[in-house]
Amino acid sequence: MAVKGIKSKDKHIINLANIIGDARSILYHTEDLIAYDCDGFTLHKHLPKAVVFPKNTQEVANLVKYCSENQLPFLARGAGTGLSGGAIPLNGEVIISLVKMKRLLSVDLENRRAVVEPGFVNLKLTNSIADKGYYYAPDPSSQYCCTIGGNVAENAGGAHCLKYGVTTNHILGLEVVMPNGEIVEIGTNGIPDAPGYDLLGLLTGSEGTLGIVTKITVRILKNPEAKQTVLAYFDRVEDGSQAVSDIISAGIVPAALEMMDKVAIEGVEAAAFPVGHPRDIEAVLLIEVDGIAAGLDEQINHILEVCKNRNVREVRAAKDEAERGRWWANRKTGFGAMGAISPDYLVQDGVIPRSKLPEVLNNINKISEEYGLRIANIFHAGDGNLHPLVLFDARKPGESDRALAAGSACLQVCADVGGTITGEHGVGIEKREEMRFVFSDEEINAQTDIREVFNPHNLLNAGKLFPMPGRCVEIKRDLKEKEAAIS
Amino acid sequence: MSVKEVDLKQDPACTTGLSNYLWSDHPDENKWADCVHCGMCLESCPTYEITGQEQHSPRGRVHLIKSVAEGKLAVNEQFMDPVFACLDCRACTTACPADVDVGGLIEEARGQIRQAMPLTGWKGTVSKVVLKGLFPHQNRLNSVGSLLRFYQKSGMQKVVRKTKLINIMPQHLVDMEAIMPEVKEPVRKKYKNENVIKAKGDTKAEVSFLTGCVMDVMFSDINEATINVLTRNGNDVTIPKNQTCCGALHVHAGDRETGRKLAKQNIEAFKDSDKIIVNAAGCGCMLKEYGELFREVDTEWHEKAEEFAAKVEDISKYLHDTGYEKPKAELNTRITYHDACHLAHGQGVRQEPRDLLLNIPGVEMVHMPNSDRCCGSAGIYNITNPEMASEVLENKMQNVPEDVEMISMGNPGCMLQMAMGVQKQGRNQKVVHTVQLLDWAYQKEDGKKEGH
Repeated sequence: MAVKGIKSKDKHIINLANIIGDARSILYHTEDLIAYDCDGFTLHKHLPKAVVFPKNTQEVANLVKYCSENQLPFLARGAGTGLSGGAIPLNGEVIISLVKMKRLLSVDLENRRAVVEPGFVNLKLTNSIADKGYYYAPDPSSQYCCTIGGNVAENAGGAHCLKYGVTTNHILGLEVVMPNGEIVEIGTNGIPDAPGYDLLGLLTGSEGTLGIVTKITVRILKNPEAKQTVLAYFDRVEDGSQAVSDIISAGIVPAALEMMDKVAIEGVEAAAFPVGHPRDIEAVLLIEVDGIAAGLDEQINHILEVCKNRNVREVRAAKDEAERGRWWANRKTGFGAMGAISPDYLVQDGVIPRSKLPEVLNNINKISEEYGLRIANIFHAGDGNLHPLVLFDARKPGESDRALAAGSACLQVCADVGGTITGEHGVGIEKREEMRFVFSDEEINAQTDIREVFNPHNLLNAGKLFPMPGRCVEIKRDLKEKEAAIS
Repeated sequence: MSVKEVDLKQDPACTTGLSNYLWSDHPDENKWADCVHCGMCLESCPTYEITGQEQHSPRGRVHLIKSVAEGKLAVNEQFMDPVFACLDCRACTTACPADVDVGGLIEEARGQIRQAMPLTGWKGTVSKVVLKGLFPHQNRLNSVGSLLRFYQKSGMQKVVRKTKLINIMPQHLVDMEAIMPEVKEPVRKKYKNENVIKAKGDTKAEVSFLTGCVMDVMFSDINEATINVLTRNGNDVTIPKNQTCCGALHVHAGDRETGRKLAKQNIEAFKDSDKIIVNAAGCGCMLKEYGELFREVDTEWHEKAEEFAAKVEDISKYLHDTGYEKPKAELNTRITYHDACHLAHGQGVRQEPRDLLLNIPGVEMVHMPNSDRCCGSAGIYNITNPEMASEVLENKMQNVPEDVEMISMGNPGCMLQMAMGVQKQGRNQKVVHTVQLLDWAYQKEDGKKEGH
């Protein structure tokens, strides 16, 4: 039975609409599609062929099967807050949006796990179980709106991953629609460390290139008994960086250890959640410890002492939960806040050994001068995960290119000191070429071989994660020819 | 270098590079320049919550509005749909880390759409008759008020309801008829011969009162309560004669020209006032944004509008900031508070009305989760987009606690919509304005009559 209300003659649009059985669950007009031409990474834009909104796993499987059989490129999308372009339809894909699959399916407090659909928003999980004293640990800054499905695809991190680990450490099971439409379950019963290859680990962080996750079993944790948060202002970046190293080497494991530099402070203070950071300091540290209440004061005193030894200008603990909340809102909206001081930004995501922090920041400063673009630094200092934010204005000719080049140069610096090119944002489109900074051709080929096992025709999210060597180009051309032949 | 030049140019093929906004007062480039497409606004948006579609999200709408300016899209039906489906609730502006004025952009884009595609059919008629022909004319509004009063008092309402004559109206209008408040005498009529309504006791300050157009006809008792609490707290109140409708509904609908006309009339009417008190959040927000209307088109009036806007204050904030006498009589009631969008998101007034309520002895406040979520009233959105408005209302009502006697708020549109929600769910809750509760407490204290 054909769905009524479809104003398109394209047979694929009509067939896709029939699969989901509802004309309102498919978009195909340019005006609607344009909202999907990029995600949180805005330097690449491309229109999808269509956007479809399945309501359950079977519909996802049917859509995938149709795309696969008809050689239509396709990809999955959640809230589209990714920062590396993982959900951008480079090849005019059919976007399978999972935001309508947003239920919390079950909560099992005894076994400390919950089952969610992929479109369920990260923070909603914590909000749903908070009254029972539990929470979901991975807390990317976009947690107010990003989906757990997207978190799995990107292996998202967050401020508190220093102590609690990134998404992959909290995934106990997945239901996945494979690129041929087959539905498989991985990690049944949510038992961690199952025998055999760690397929959960492989799928988590595969950036939507191996399958589409339709159900997720996650670990939930008991709320720590107490939390304390400290803010420390430094006149010199070196002192701030050194304090970070000292805290870790003193044996303290903070739940979070965040740093912002002068330009970043200018941004967050000009934006919607200012907290009154002094403008003339070079670095602010936000340090949080949590755990059993009895030991926290001692840890806090230790941290205060370390900061004082490193010439801190001012250091203090949050006086109440409201103040703590304001400090975190200020930090967590940091990326978007750059809009207040710059029309566009490009965020990078390098990881470095903590001890190299002053050296790397120094080099990033040099890059900023060389390219004539301001760079703000917001980062998870505790685990050496840097986020240089290259500020630019896309309306000025050539500035986008310069921003990209500057971002790439920042990653080169990270790779050169023994670090790597992404900590939590994924490679996507943005850092494809930079994969060469850390992998040889052979290593990259070994990984694309793995992809071929799952995604043999590379119809699912093609052109992401890996640089484009000869054969990928051929595959893409092949795809386009097939697409042209079909339509 | 990870991206090649050709990659960067992969925009839709229809790009002309020239803006497709053809009239003056077009959407302000500086407003969207702050949007970095981070997506923090998504979950704050009621229409995104319902549709899950990004063209119905704040960042999606900003992206579309920007795309028209870049010549990638034309001003047409498909563009109009997401722009007019926006509730203009401003929740995204609160959520946005960069303070992007999405509401402002939406209103400017609507202005362009209305000029490119003037309303036809029944919507055009409604717009002409109601927005242009009725709201700006107080005497006509008063006549409608008298008719409504007659409808209610003469027994006609009963007859219409009983004979099912009412069933010839569309469902959303039937729902509205059911919750129509009892129409009383407008305060502008009642005080038409008094230049100043004197403070009770010593005069501390002089304020002017914008009575609102519909407000004064449908909710004159709230206006009366507002005057009572103002005079009781040492304020001389004037009601400038030439004031008119604030124009919010016109501006929401894209009729910025009428908006400007009304703005000028109000600016003139209140030119001798130092403080302008408003009790309708939607009006208050509009008055504070008069400057926006003249931003591009008239420097002289832009300045006047900004001066005017600085004097505008919501009643709850005014009382809170200038000090007021805390009532001594107990009201003994359980209430909850709904943040009107144009009070919380539009004017940043959240705690002041709550404090007013909490300071009334015997008032127990029950927390409403997501209290600053839009109820779907959104001016006349519930008439123009009944389906979406009703879904928004349903989501809202899920968060309204069941175990309260009253739901308090600071905007008449919300009051009608929430009353509809209460009615639809068969609940027994009174929908009240914050100043009414305060006024009742004073009255009880003065022994005039029992609280409510």
